[in-house]
Amino acid sequence: MYIFQNAMQNLLRNKGRNLMTAAIIFVVIVSSVVALMIYNTSNGVINDYKSRFGSEVSLTPNMEKIIEATQTTGALVRPTIPAEQLIAFADSEHLLSANLAASGKGWSDDLKAIDGEKGGGGGPMLSAGPGGGPANMPDGMPELRQYFFRLLANQYDDFENGNRELTEGSAFPEKPGECLISQELLENSGLKIGDTIVMNSDLINPGSGPGDESYHDIVFRLTIVGTYLDLTDEYANSMMENAFSNRRNEVFMYFNDLASEVKEGLMGIDVGATYYLKSPELLSAFTAELRAKGLEDVFDVTTNEASYQAIVGPVEAMRGISLTFVIIVLIFGAIIIALLSSLAVRERKYEIGVLRAMGMKKGKVALGLWAETLTITALCLVLGLAVGGLAAQPVTNLLLNQQVEAAEQAQAAATPDPPGAVTVQGGGPQGVGGPIMIGGPIAGFIGQSSAEKITNIDVGIGLNTVVQIIVIALLLTSIAGLIATRQITKYEPMKILMERN
Amino acid sequence: MANILTLNNVSYAYEGASKNVLQGMSADFETGRVYTIIGKSGAGKSTLLSLLSGLDVTTNGAILFDDKNLKKLCRDTYRAQQVGVIFQSYNLLTNATAVQNIVLSMNISESPERDKKAFAYALLAKVGIDSETADRKILKLSGGEQQRVAIARALAHNPAILIADEPTGNLDKDTEDDILHIFTKLAHEENRCVIIVTHSKRVTAIADVVYRLKDGRLAVV
Repeated sequence: MYIFQNAMQNLLRNKGRNLMTAAIIFVVIVSSVVALMIYNTSNGVINDYKSRFGSEVSLTPNMEKIIEATQTTGALVRPTIPAEQLIAFADSEHLLSANLAASGKGWSDDLKAIDGEKGGGGGPMLSAGPGGGPANMPDGMPELRQYFFRLLANQYDDFENGNRELTEGSAFPEKPGECLISQELLENSGLKIGDTIVMNSDLINPGSGPGDESYHDIVFRLTIVGTYLDLTDEYANSMMENAFSNRRNEVFMYFNDLASEVKEGLMGIDVGATYYLKSPELLSAFTAELRAKGLEDVFDVTTNEASYQAIVGPVEAMRGISLTFVIIVLIFGAIIIALLSSLAVRERKYEIGVLRAMGMKKGKVALGLWAETLTITALCLVLGLAVGGLAAQPVTNLLLNQQVEAAEQAQAAATPDPPGAVTVQGGGPQGVGGPIMIGGPIAGFIGQSSAEKITNIDVGIGLNTVVQIIVIALLLTSIAGLIATRQITKYEPMKILMERN
Repeated sequence: MANILTLNNVSYAYEGASKNVLQGMSADFETGRVYTIIGKSGAGKSTLLSLLSGLDVTTNGAILFDDKNLKKLCRDTYRAQQVGVIFQSYNLLTNATAVQNIVLSMNISESPERDKKAFAYALLAKVGIDSETADRKILKLSGGEQQRVAIARALAHNPAILIADEPTGNLDKDTEDDILHIFTKLAHEENRCVIIVTHSKRVTAIADVVYRLKDGRLAVV
């Protein structure tokens, strides 16, 4: 106990030297606090973006390979990913999550569509075909089927962002045969929750060419398990105003009910998938797995690295700067503190000699010196955390602005790659260009990324930073203590006193 | 009276020196006696004191404290608890006050005294340092005052052996008498062993045994 009392007295006895030591330690701590706050906050932002953006997988057709294949075979190569493959790809240990969604078209005698008087829509023009659809044309004339309901599965982002909400007692379809419809549609149809309806749908077989097309009819028997209140714009997704494009007529179904009806070579039900890797580093392993599961060679498997870099790049650069700064500060801090400690021991050699002559053990002398440094460091730590905490935000703003400007200049010089979610959609051929849709998700698809460039970061002094600073401070004082101990161990009191005398 | 320190054929040479300062020295020091060691400057008196006080170790031979070889004892504990040393140049903590010097010494020696500060003031008063002076930093004290503080510090932990190197060199006659009286009282009434290196005839006069250090050996005068 007296060691610490003596240390406290020594702090007051040697104000000049201790103030100088305190000033140096204070600068080291403030610099470390600012740098660590920036580093930790940047790290958090980057990890967050990585998890929801940087790890999103894109399956994109490689145009060079398509052209090459087309030239080799002489026939137009239409890259497709069958729905069953998309579903199979989702079952991977490399994925953090996979969002599978599906969409189709239907008509039903049990439901009275909102704006049904405006007619249906969404049907392809076939050159000829058998009757059976809701709007048949005379034989020999192109048949136009009209659809009144959009069938959706796993597309709930309007619910996530509050534009739609379940009514009381309602649930999302989680079992085969369940469906969710809008409250307006339920009332318009004079139905109630728990009623069962028949929903008709179809797939179109394009056949070998014009005049060879045919329909493959599908019948769903669905139980209404709930309704939703819809605050969205009725015709937000279409220029055409008809029952099919009216969003009140969207019917949510169980994913497997829709997806299981997908047939190879037939179109009409689209399956979309977005895959999120556990870590971007798993891309090559995931690619190998997809190839093994049958993904054609014409598809490239990539993460949206360019967009990721455009968005997160400045923060990563800032993190790099702050980390470098922390390392430099620590190295220089450690050297300075080591020198100070060494000088302090030399300067206080006589005092150490006297204490040793009085019988104080070497360890206790070193402990006393360490306690002095520790006290100075603790005071600097409190002050440093406060000052560093205040200084961190302006420094961050300055650094980030510089990095954003640098990134924008670099981007302007290069071809820009627009950021945005990439969703793979499949399920059957849809004419030239195939079913792969790049640059836009299925409407309302869950989990799509819509990250914006980071132009502002709110740095905060978290527990993590405080713990790191305390560890750094302890490390530095321990270095000082070790150096002092090492030097004291070399000194014999007799020699010190003789030198002095 | 009992032997407390025994020099057994002690030799000492400084590092790198070819000649021994102390050469095959043997002597006994008993409790309850005042010893003075006289000799010419450079004879090795201070070296002998540093060996006796455990600040240094012999090159050859042994110093026995209570029949135990000092080399095998913890010399820090020996210095802290068994020996009180009054250095010729005082060796006080100059940026601390007189009282702080005494209290620190008591702390190091793990003195059982409860109110160490009060004890320190009392001890300083005994050697002629009033409480106001006691609260001044050593640097602000005169040579004589510093010497008295050094004496008080050596006595602070009630050592069995008191070793002093020219302890009254800077004191006036009255204070010197007081200090010498303390020394004799410590030896004769409290059964301590007091060893004083001196050139002063007044100090030599109070000794029970006078040793002369010559040619690296001690001889009783």
